Amino acid sequence: MPGSAIEDATGTPPVASSPTHRRGTAGKPRRSRRSGFETLLPYLLVAPLGAFIIGLALVPAAFTIVQSFYKVNPLDPPTRFTGFGNFTKLFNNDAVVSTFTNTAFYVVVGVALSTVLGITFAMVLRRPFRGRSILIAVLILPWALPGVVEDILWTGIFDPNNGLINSLLSSLHLMNGNAVLLGQNRLLTITFIELVQVWQITPLSALLILAALQLVPDELYEAAEIDGCSAWAAFWRITLPLARPGIAIAMVQATIATLNVFDQPYVLNGAAATGASVTEQTYFISFQNLDFGQGYALSLMITVVTLLISLVVVRVVYRRVDL
Amino acid sequence: MPRTTQGLPVWLTRSAVVVGVAGLVAGTAACSSSSSGGSTKTKGVTITVALAADAPPKAALAAFTQQTGIKVKWVNIDWDSLQTKISAAATAKTYFADATDVDWSRVGQLGKLGWFYPMDKYLNTKSMTADLPQLASFTTGGKVIGIPYDASFMVTTVNTDMFAKAGITTMPTTLDQYTNDLKQVQSKGISQHPLNIPFTAAEGLSTYWYETTGALGGTILDSKGKPQFKDPNSAGYKAAQWMVDAMKSGLVPPGNINVSDSQGEQTLMAKGVVASTFSDYSGLVGSLYNVPSSSSVVDKVKYLPTPGATGPAANLSNPDGIGIPKQAKYPNAAAKFIEWFTSVQQQVDFSGANGAGKAWAAYALPSHLSAVQQMTSKGNLVGGDQLSAMLAKSKPVFPGGAPPWYPQFSNSVYTHLHAAAVGSESVSHAIDAIASTANGLAG
Repeated sequence: MPGSAIEDATGTPPVASSPTHRRGTAGKPRRSRRSGFETLLPYLLVAPLGAFIIGLALVPAAFTIVQSFYKVNPLDPPTRFTGFGNFTKLFNNDAVVSTFTNTAFYVVVGVALSTVLGITFAMVLRRPFRGRSILIAVLILPWALPGVVEDILWTGIFDPNNGLINSLLSSLHLMNGNAVLLGQNRLLTITFIELVQVWQITPLSALLILAALQLVPDELYEAAEIDGCSAWAAFWRITLPLARPGIAIAMVQATIATLNVFDQPYVLNGAAATGASVTEQTYFISFQNLDFGQGYALSLMITVVTLLISLVVVRVVYRRVDL
Repeated sequence: MPRTTQGLPVWLTRSAVVVGVAGLVAGTAACSSSSSGGSTKTKGVTITVALAADAPPKAALAAFTQQTGIKVKWVNIDWDSLQTKISAAATAKTYFADATDVDWSRVGQLGKLGWFYPMDKYLNTKSMTADLPQLASFTTGGKVIGIPYDASFMVTTVNTDMFAKAGITTMPTTLDQYTNDLKQVQSKGISQHPLNIPFTAAEGLSTYWYETTGALGGTILDSKGKPQFKDPNSAGYKAAQWMVDAMKSGLVPPGNINVSDSQGEQTLMAKGVVASTFSDYSGLVGSLYNVPSSSSVVDKVKYLPTPGATGPAANLSNPDGIGIPKQAKYPNAAAKFIEWFTSVQQQVDFSGANGAGKAWAAYALPSHLSAVQQMTSKGNLVGGDQLSAMLAKSKPVFPGGAPPWYPQFSNSVYTHLHAAAVGSESVSHAIDAIASTANGLAG
């Protein structure tokens, strides 16, 4: 009934046919108000979250995009439009460019390793066994503790003079002195830093994949076994395909974490080029040099890259699963 | 059971949030109603003091409240986060504390930005100069923006026991003698790597270079911020070369590539692994090296007048100060707190000279000469005579005040000196890169 008052915006079927309306107009307004409230209720419930996201994510993101094209530096006022000036300066800054390689390494190694380990842990934890809940609690610890606290712990482990690793290698007569030395060799440095990050992010990957695996019905495995399918084949043909939604989410969270790695290189290796990440540079540029314009630009670049990689991961890995 | 997984919104990346906060900060700055000029009330108010340290004893703060009617809410924030908070709050013109840290290295930056009240407005800073030698480090453009509350300056510390075992009876007074003595300690097998230089890419490496440069009679930057270390015969160049050579020749433990200043103090000097730190922190003999629970060199480490080019050199200051940000709610009350907090009597109490109950664990060394002298006369300060003599002659790292762009310059210093020590850059290349940064920033 186009133009009729009884047609609502939600596409609810016309209410003229409902019993309420057949009783006459007296009941109609009350029914209509309740219906309106019920229609609005989901929006009202979501509104605080929506306002939170708009206020703390979308508005700052929009602000970041706009300000990245301005020179914003309280030491060099006034704020003025520079076009792509901030981006050009960033690409001409050797310290920034050298962090691109480090960060790319962190992303590739971190995402790959945390996903493989996450799948492995999820497979181990999939079936009930004695002490499983304790093992899950222990597994979560590295993810649950504050990053800086853990990195200080790792600083002690990597300490070149009195650290656990070098002392152990030395006492086992495997190597002498400072065999494991962060900061000396770039590849070694970024590898160790990323291993620490993988240790921290893998628990969440494992839990996300485990959640996906637990929804796979046992009947599928039983049927596969009856059909003569080996355990390895069942893993490839049943487990992995059905765990793809969980794996995709795990990979996206790993991508976000590794692209934004900060605590680990900063605490373990200072500002040295051997391990510095793009986010470290964002911090230095924004809060040390107070060049917020370049900070916005670099941050925008990280966000765009994060978005693109995440979209690729979701597109390639994610598959809708109907069971 | 159907399962669907929606693509997660990836807007909320950490970087977006970090700079998003900065964005909000800058955005709110434009429309913020808060501006400088808080209440002049000093009675019945509560002020927030934010420093990178645990709170002083409750009794001391209670006594201050009783004297003045001002309550103190103490907030301990780690140094890095505190500097970020200072910048973020000032940019957004938002209140976060009535009194907070003014680091010597940011004095130029904070002064140019006008983020802190000149202390001259509240205290008679001119009358303080004689007793607070490090006040110069907090003076920029003729204004004092912070009052030093402890006296941190760079000193040379020596494990005299190791030197004696190597047959060294006369302590070195020049850098050449000092280097030769260290080589002797090494050759006699007393210490495999006798010199501690923290080569991790952090501020401690920069200050080590400044102190070594100062010891060789030079300065880092002139009054216009131009580099004074490009010439291979300059003190700064020689200092960098000496530090890197010490690393490459094995005088410095190879692991020091990734050792910070505090790590070096705690795990090398305090454990008797190395024999000396050329640029150490004042007060550490009493607060670390002579503390049996954390040291195996009790009573063995002494302060040494900094060996210079031809004789003992002056010590450079890197003190901690406290000031009043422009967005303080109660600047006058904050000034009263600062006056009390940095007073001679309070400093003597904090340093433990009047009993452990009044001592503040986070405290190193008073910034007032008279307080240091009081402690020395009471026998409460290890190496007090030497420390008070060094404090009296201590100099600011930058005589004209740290330049506004100091943090960026320091970042260049420690990353390039670290790279030179690692071997990925030559000293010459590192010096060129640091000089280029200074020239670019000085304009």
